[in-house]
Amino acid sequence: MDPTSKRPPPAASSSTTYPPLPKLEILNPSALPSHRFLRPAKRINEGPDVSHFLTSKAYRDIGVWILQLNHALVPRIIKKSTTASTSEPTKDEQQRRQQKAEEANEQQQPPPPPPPPTYALAAKLQSLRKKKDEQQQPTEEIKTFPLPRYRDGEGVDHQEEPESIKKLQRLLKKVEAIIDEAPPDPGPRRFGNVSFRTWFKLLEERADGLLREYLPDGVLRWEQSAGGEKKEEEEGTETETETETEGDSDKKTNEQKQVVGPLEELKAYFLGGFGSAQRLDYGTGHELSFIMFLGGLWKLGGFEGEEKDEDREVERRIVLGVVEPYLRVIRRLILTYTLEPAGSHGVWGLDDHSFVPYIFGSAQYTRPISSPNEPTPLEGSVPNASKPSDITKPTAVERYRTENMYFSAIGFIYDVKKGPFWEHSPILFDVSGIKDGWGKINKGMIKMYNAEVLSKFPVVQHFPFGSLFQWEKDPEAGVPAQSVHMQNQPVASAASAAVTGGVGIPTERPSGPGGVTGTAAPWAQAPAQAPGAGMAPPMTATPWARSTGAGAGVGSSAANRFTPFKPAGGPGGAPHTGPPPPESFPGGTPGTASNQFAVTKAPWAK
Amino acid sequence: MSDLDRAIAQLRACRPIPESDVRELCHKAREILIEEGNVVTVNAPVTICGDIHGQFHDLMELFRVGGDPPDTNYLFMGDFVDRGFYSLETFLLLLCLKVRYPDRMTLIRGNHESRQITTVYGFYDECYRKYGSANVWRYCCDVFDYLALGAIVLGASNTISPSAGESSIPTTPEGDEVEIEVCNAQGEVMSRFPRPNNGADSDVQSRTNGIPPPSNTGPPGSGASGLSRGSVGNPAGAVLCVHGGLSPLIDKVDKIRLLDRKQEVPHEGAMCDLLWSDPDEIDGWGLSPRGAGFLFGADIVKVFNHRNDLSLIARAHQLVMEGFKEMFDASIVTVWSAPNYCYRCGNVAALLELSEDDSGLGVLARSNGDVNRSNGGAGSSGGLGEGELQPMKGPARRYRVFQAAPQDSRGMPAKKPVADYFL
Repeated sequence: MDPTSKRPPPAASSSTTYPPLPKLEILNPSALPSHRFLRPAKRINEGPDVSHFLTSKAYRDIGVWILQLNHALVPRIIKKSTTASTSEPTKDEQQRRQQKAEEANEQQQPPPPPPPPTYALAAKLQSLRKKKDEQQQPTEEIKTFPLPRYRDGEGVDHQEEPESIKKLQRLLKKVEAIIDEAPPDPGPRRFGNVSFRTWFKLLEERADGLLREYLPDGVLRWEQSAGGEKKEEEEGTETETETETEGDSDKKTNEQKQVVGPLEELKAYFLGGFGSAQRLDYGTGHELSFIMFLGGLWKLGGFEGEEKDEDREVERRIVLGVVEPYLRVIRRLILTYTLEPAGSHGVWGLDDHSFVPYIFGSAQYTRPISSPNEPTPLEGSVPNASKPSDITKPTAVERYRTENMYFSAIGFIYDVKKGPFWEHSPILFDVSGIKDGWGKINKGMIKMYNAEVLSKFPVVQHFPFGSLFQWEKDPEAGVPAQSVHMQNQPVASAASAAVTGGVGIPTERPSGPGGVTGTAAPWAQAPAQAPGAGMAPPMTATPWARSTGAGAGVGSSAANRFTPFKPAGGPGGAPHTGPPPPESFPGGTPGTASNQFAVTKAPWAK
Repeated sequence: MSDLDRAIAQLRACRPIPESDVRELCHKAREILIEEGNVVTVNAPVTICGDIHGQFHDLMELFRVGGDPPDTNYLFMGDFVDRGFYSLETFLLLLCLKVRYPDRMTLIRGNHESRQITTVYGFYDECYRKYGSANVWRYCCDVFDYLALGAIVLGASNTISPSAGESSIPTTPEGDEVEIEVCNAQGEVMSRFPRPNNGADSDVQSRTNGIPPPSNTGPPGSGASGLSRGSVGNPAGAVLCVHGGLSPLIDKVDKIRLLDRKQEVPHEGAMCDLLWSDPDEIDGWGLSPRGAGFLFGADIVKVFNHRNDLSLIARAHQLVMEGFKEMFDASIVTVWSAPNYCYRCGNVAALLELSEDDSGLGVLARSNGDVNRSNGGAGSSGGLGEGELQPMKGPARRYRVFQAAPQDSRGMPAKKPVADYFL
């Protein structure tokens, strides 16, 4: 996943030096006085546009950002001597660690002189301990990054959170509180609750004011410098939103309709993160939008302390302190308004609604790294991590869901689904059998995300492009592998012939290099460099090789590159299940049909 | 035959049959299906079922509640596959039963019986996972192309047949003709609704878009039907069964018969619409949020039924929390047979029984390929005297409502195949 991901020999490598890992670039307002913000616009209109997207700067940024956040959560091996000077563990962490350490026979402490083994079990334990000790210098300590405990949407360590994180937590609280103003409609309905439209409308109306109030100061700075039009813009007049969304009183209308400010651009990603009011659904496309809202804040220098942060503490705060609370708000929205999983693949998706908690949660349990630039391990688990197979044990899930994002997401599945876990969530069940540790799961989740979310027309078609995340081609992007599916992305609407035509074509899997579609996205390189990463899977050919495109794809386009049959969907339908479904249906009122749970949408629908 | 019976036994145990057997089965099935017209004629009594979506154990529950094939004559309105965990076992079992008892099992095509849709919504993944190759998926898709697009039920009675089960409700006062009866999974009558003599308080429910009002117009999900006229004579008009609904390109049932159906479901056109459309509270036609098919309103249904001497359209395609939902003065009903859909919707499922008319006024049996059906059912032309769109008297309908099968008995698989992403 990281370009440099060459697996270091375990432990010993503390002194190895690694080149810096990629980070999302932070724009400097003074260096870019003429930066022009743009109102983000939809660019992916047809299947083949997805292949352009996969070579775009936006795609590169998405990849860098997600891997950057992911890497921040990987446990660290801290040298005792340096512990104090680097980031202090929070009280909560300390507590937990302590508890864990006790549970684990204090294995992280320098071993006490071994008592003479009196019986076999003790002997075994001791030898195990010894083995571990060999791997870990006694002067090292492993630091993990569990979820903080939350109260009212804020971590209990709230005091210690940087101001930018606190503000975003308050923002999410405000967003969540709108639920109280839009109680679910008790009247007749098929599935999705129409009151979600009320909720969303309130959010839209307040978005400007909320963002102005809660965005980190670093971002607001841009209002003065952007576009070089200081005078006109400094009072926030940059906004020229659709009348509907005007909610903010201190906004002036601006003659210069063209001038758009940072808030306007960020707002598109922010609002895109809360589902579709029209279809009453939520999926991974919405989740992506919110993640990139945070990426936009990052680019604009919204997170203070970044420059002094050598070990991604800021990124960690973002995930644990903002992304997880965001997911909690989303879960509440889903329960309150029975939001449909966008583009549900039923049991054949990773999760009905979400994907990123499986990435970040698996990172939390991955084998620790010993230097800040050591690439994310591709296998192995941190000592004392839960076992992947614990997801099938409700009691274990209850225990871990408060500390780990993967289990937090699994816990939600238990909350809403009835029936045997292996039956209603077979993809996750299969993953629970993986023997090579959470690092392996993390690597797989990232590959799957690339294939099932970022490469799926139905999911990414709604992602808008502007000045922060650009549609423009990344000059360093490789040529996208000409995969069959790309060819089969929906072309206009008359693709029907292609459908049958595609079937039965005996092609082998498209032979992309390493199976990745072009582009310098970090994960694209992973395969190539990760030894044994198995990235060039036996891709069998999908007969129909067509693709996915169609939206929902038929298939998994990208997926086909990696694997013939894998899980389609994901959360959000697809692996997430999905792909957020086609956002726009042509006209028509959202009729009852659209309110239906898991209603099937034509993959070619736009 | 004994091979077939063995396959049936194995599939009933929810165990897939070998690939070579699937191939042979699909071959035989095609030979049978190719002989059927686009619109199959089915004589009552018949039990009509909606979407199954691979919920195999719930299909077993359905058979328990509705009677075992071939003792019960079944008509399934498509969407056997996708989303659920057992699409393969579900479809193959139904197909085996079709081959074994071709006259007691009618399968029509749903929008999920399609290559493109199954590669998105799970059936492809499932086949690949269970067989390690896409061959079985391909055999099944070849069968999909031969499935009929609709069915016409003839000879349904407009009086309810004696319930097979125990009745927990006293029989209706004599003189009242029962139009709708709702039973639970144990066969106990939960409610009965007499056929009103006039349409006075008819369509309250159908306007409420779903959950019935607390008033007593009908059972949950039913339109309780006031507009069906009083007992005029037997039998009821014909019932059209189709997965999705109507098409602006189809004004007569006979036009369905003219389609070339042996192909992948197109993205547009009449064949697509029949499998994708939904009724909605609108006037005329509307665009479908699904991206395929159309929305159609009450006026469309009434005109269509009148023109085709239909008393009812039965369709599936949309989840309804109560398992069934009558709309537009009981001129169309949605039947949904996948309880607790996707393991989380909390809905019940239903099947619809139409009993046989034994009045002797009769049904003209028709072969499947017949083209002029219009006078086949008696009792139709009378409607013309009473005003243009007076609906025909609908058949008496018994809905059996059931819940998801108990799940405790299902063991966990020992094997966890590793997804390619995680190799």
